[in-house]
Amino acid sequence: MKIKIELFGASREFSKNNLIEFEINNSSTIKDLRIKMINYLDQNFNGNENFKKIVNTSVFCSENNNIVSDNYKITKNEKIAIIPPIGGG
Amino acid sequence: MLHAKIVDIKEKKISLLDAEKFVSSFDYGASIYFTGTVRNQNNNKSVIGITYDSHNALVVKSFEEIYNESEYKLKIQNKAIFIEHAKGYLNLGETSIIIAVACKHRDEAYVLSRYIIEEIKKRSPIWKKEHYTDNQSDWLKGNPIVHEKN
Repeated sequence: MKIKIELFGASREFSKNNLIEFEINNSSTIKDLRIKMINYLDQNFNGNENFKKIVNTSVFCSENNNIVSDNYKITKNEKIAIIPPIGGG
Repeated sequence: MLHAKIVDIKEKKISLLDAEKFVSSFDYGASIYFTGTVRNQNNNKSVIGITYDSHNALVVKSFEEIYNESEYKLKIQNKAIFIEHAKGYLNLGETSIIIAVACKHRDEAYVLSRYIIEEIKKRSPIWKKEHYTDNQSDWLKGNPIVHEKN
């Protein structure tokens, strides 16, 4: 199934479109998605360690605007947001 | 009473007048206005501006949670809170955040104002990209949000 990852903050550097689409298996979790994103960075940014660190220190937000755990099961066509470490104000 | 909003800088600048209109009331004897502005130095680098990014829905949700907590954690019942945060590119000296609070007495107003900005720093999904005099720019590292159980 296809899902869209909406990019925010430093993760916007991962794509010019502010969005990355992934093909994932049914009943994939956020944990699987993290692995998918790391593979994407390996392929497209030569394994940029700073980018990988962003993925590993981020949380993810479901389509209904809840921060979800690594065990969260992603549903078909769901739009997930990556939430890198924050610092506004 | 709460007003909570992310304001796209392309549409409007955040304004103390709006804050004042919202919190002014004969019910309150103490008001505090906190503003955050873009300064010219950070980590020994000369800053010329900051781009602010945000997950708008989550940010507003966090503002609402902070407001509700002031009820049961701080026990401040009667109050008006105005929070606006800018999104987009801001030049030096421009205002990135306004927090206006109005309460019956000054003690609770000071506590509330400080509580709100500290909690926003901890949990509202807002990011800064600094722009420097040497044409470089960097996303600031920030602090990871703690995972919630799901």
